[in-house]
Amino acid sequence: MVDLAMHMMDIVQNAIRANATRIDIGFLEESRKGTLTFTVSDNGSGMVPETVERVEDPFFTTRTTRRIGLGIPLLKMTSEQSGGSLRVVSLPGAGTVVEAVFRTDNPDCLPLGDLAGYLVLLLVANPDIHFSFSYRLDRDHFLIDTEEWVKQGFTDFSKKEMAPAVTEFIAENLKTVCRKRNSESFLC
Amino acid sequence: MTGIKTLADLKRKQEEVRREIDLRRRAEEPDSLVQVKVAMATCGIASGAKIVMDLFVRELPRRGIEAVVTQTGCMGYCFAEPTVEITLPGKEPIVFGYVDAHKVDEIIEHYIKQGELVDGIIPQNYNTIAEPD
Repeated sequence: MVDLAMHMMDIVQNAIRANATRIDIGFLEESRKGTLTFTVSDNGSGMVPETVERVEDPFFTTRTTRRIGLGIPLLKMTSEQSGGSLRVVSLPGAGTVVEAVFRTDNPDCLPLGDLAGYLVLLLVANPDIHFSFSYRLDRDHFLIDTEEWVKQGFTDFSKKEMAPAVTEFIAENLKTVCRKRNSESFLC
Repeated sequence: MTGIKTLADLKRKQEEVRREIDLRRRAEEPDSLVQVKVAMATCGIASGAKIVMDLFVRELPRRGIEAVVTQTGCMGYCFAEPTVEITLPGKEPIVFGYVDAHKVDEIIEHYIKQGELVDGIIPQNYNTIAEPD
């Protein structure tokens, strides 16, 4: 994984596989602490404590198509390489929260990557899942909530024909938020 | 097209797209839905599944093909990522491996449009490595 957008897709894919109907993706940049907290929480099937203990083990997977699962171990690796950490909290029947902290004052912090592009693919591929995506940099905030969109009359966000427009919408708004980032941060 | 930055812009675009889709639907048989599944697990993402999925999302409507594009987890063919499973109406699903931009074009033009098989098919035997005895 060379950027955070790839990790996002990877972890969200886990949530989809856990039959989640609601997935919240969060990026929280705190310049005072020099951290970026990346969170994916879902209302999927959840895991028992014994399983949670083993998710960081690359040779553990519930899948039967292959014996190795690298999604969580890779996220743990990249976050720890920047001086950060990874935490997984889960409750069977209630859902799972994966939280990775990256240190943005460390040159090994991963770049964000094409968040808008991956998000739009998620929206197109999973029209029945309620997604929310939030990006906060200190006081500036950009939030998407698909249920909120529907309420306001924007219902076609998962149509392929809308993909370029939605990508532009997300990319432009993220650019506006990220412009405020101070120059000491290695995040880009 | 002017810049899209607000929800109002998105809604304006939505109206535009709806009109285009209506025009196309009238010219086409509605039961010809093609299903495209892009493997989007760690292995797929790492080998460029996003570019492949982006292309399907963009190119299928542009070439007038009514299709559902979804993502799926690992199908067990990590060695051949990015992989794509295509189901034509009334046919068995077929998995293509080592898909790149060029291959996407080939799959759309030859397989989806004309039903001709193209290189890179992964034979499916429905056995997995963890098959119980």
